[in-house]
Amino acid sequence: MKKIFLAVLAISTIALTSCSNDSKDDTTATGNGSLKLEFDNVYGAADLALNTEYTNSNGEKVKPNNVIYIISNVVLTKADGSTYTVPKSSSYFFVNETDEASTLITLPNIPAGDYTKVKFGIGVDQAQYDAGADGQGDLWTTAALPSLGMTWSWASGYKFVKFEGTVTSTTHTDAPYKVHTGKTGSIYNYAEATLDFPNNALVRTNITPQVHIMADVKKIIDGTTVINFEEGLDVMGGTKVQQIMANNVPTMFEAHHVHND
Amino acid sequence: MKKILLLTAFLAIAGCSSDDDTEYQNLPIDYQVPSNFPPLVYDLSRNPLTEKGFELGKKIFYDGRLSSDGTISCGFCHIQSDAFTHHGHTFSHGVNDASGTRNAPPVQNMAYQSQFFWDGASDHIEMLSMAPISSEIEMNGNIIDIINMMKNDAKYKQLYQQAFPNAPIDAEHLLKALGQFMTVLTSSNSRFDKYRRGETGGALTVAELAGYSLFNAKCATCHATDLFTDNTFRNNGLTINPQINDVGRYRVTQIPQDKFKFKVPSLRNIEKTAPYMHDGRFFTLEAVLNHYQSGVGNTENLDPILNTNGTLGIALTTEEKAKIIAFLKTLTDEEFLTNPKFSEF
Repeated sequence: MKKIFLAVLAISTIALTSCSNDSKDDTTATGNGSLKLEFDNVYGAADLALNTEYTNSNGEKVKPNNVIYIISNVVLTKADGSTYTVPKSSSYFFVNETDEASTLITLPNIPAGDYTKVKFGIGVDQAQYDAGADGQGDLWTTAALPSLGMTWSWASGYKFVKFEGTVTSTTHTDAPYKVHTGKTGSIYNYAEATLDFPNNALVRTNITPQVHIMADVKKIIDGTTVINFEEGLDVMGGTKVQQIMANNVPTMFEAHHVHND
Repeated sequence: MKKILLLTAFLAIAGCSSDDDTEYQNLPIDYQVPSNFPPLVYDLSRNPLTEKGFELGKKIFYDGRLSSDGTISCGFCHIQSDAFTHHGHTFSHGVNDASGTRNAPPVQNMAYQSQFFWDGASDHIEMLSMAPISSEIEMNGNIIDIINMMKNDAKYKQLYQQAFPNAPIDAEHLLKALGQFMTVLTSSNSRFDKYRRGETGGALTVAELAGYSLFNAKCATCHATDLFTDNTFRNNGLTINPQINDVGRYRVTQIPQDKFKFKVPSLRNIEKTAPYMHDGRFFTLEAVLNHYQSGVGNTENLDPILNTNGTLGIALTTEEKAKIIAFLKTLTDEEFLTNPKFSEF
């Protein structure tokens, strides 16, 4: 379980103000507060521990050693249905299993209110790719940090999900595998997840709710689509990446509980 | 079809500023789409061209300090007099004498293209520079080090401030400046262009005109528009070099149908961009046309257009080939190749 503080990766410090379209909130709360999204990586029913062996449904045994993904374009929905969209220029976050700080994303300047769900993207969206460098600020520089290595330079873009480790299967023993997803040609492979909160997140000037999100990284390779490393140790394109992003990644997140304190 | 793009020409009233001025200098470049060109692909409204933006992009383009050993600039492999290709190099050599496996493509008329590199690794003029700057066999640059270098360089500090209003020195604006420089690298004043626009100096000979007709009949399906590409990926039947086994577009998509497909290149300044094909295997235009006449192989995913009921390639007589080559040489744009505005020194 990760608990540490904020790792806001402000992609650009341009002071774009919030794009809220709040109609009346159903509370009398006013002012702005913050909200935290905690990404707690798990592997199936167990907390994720790197370099630990887990067995997949196909019998392959994997030992993950690097798990990083981009969370982006966060939208929060209030009980009355109105939404708050985190400004795009500060809405790309790298969640890195080996950097606890990065697993707790603090979203500032959230209008006070009772929030019921969150929507976010995994990866970099088509609108951003279509905009070219515009609005990217330090995204490239951040992705290029040696600790992240999330540029996909041969494709002039970014890795959305990096899931690496070793695998033992019929013909492999602790062989290194790599799963990288991102835009492949004209296919954007951007995923989205919408999570209902089990209890409302009460953003107030003096309350910063923390949403505890379980991220089951097993589902990246062992979900609706099952990746068999026997068929290839590197998964970096083609239909497998499309299926991972379309079928598996959107289902790997669950809002487990919300702390309102 | 005429499409003209007029950039707001509020000519800077306070224009005559001294060189140590560190204020933003809004000196718009009045960029016009040549009337025989297809429309721009690049949305310039997100990155309006200015003199200082262009100047910054040019400085970046010719700066070897972007590479890991300080010697390989963009301009190292993209030389103006060769239409920004690497003349005579089948493959180019990057840092540490590393060698690539693909022929350096020209940098010209980039703002009209929707796909870049032989395999379409990028589809945005601003994003494409990430690849050669980062590639271990090209510049092997580290964007973090590059930005730090620029932040500690007085000339860069000044140029970034002059080029973009209230913008930091960062990767976004580095890429935008390169986008501006590449946009201005427009080749549109060949004899062919003048012929198409009915301008003085646009006379084509009988043989060149005959070549143009043949070209339209036999080549223009893929080499379409006055930019001579339809921006698609196709397998043109080159035999596969087993030592490289370049899978082309498949490298990007890993979709089997994309194997051995490469981007249809523009043919502008083709006389100056030898060697030809993605791997630079042909040194002359004659060799290229001989390939289409008799060298096309029925490799995986061969473009159907090159296979007529089992007959491969394009029917071409010796005389026809000579005429097509005469036409292709009218695409040479000396003004572009020698314009001092684009040159390193």
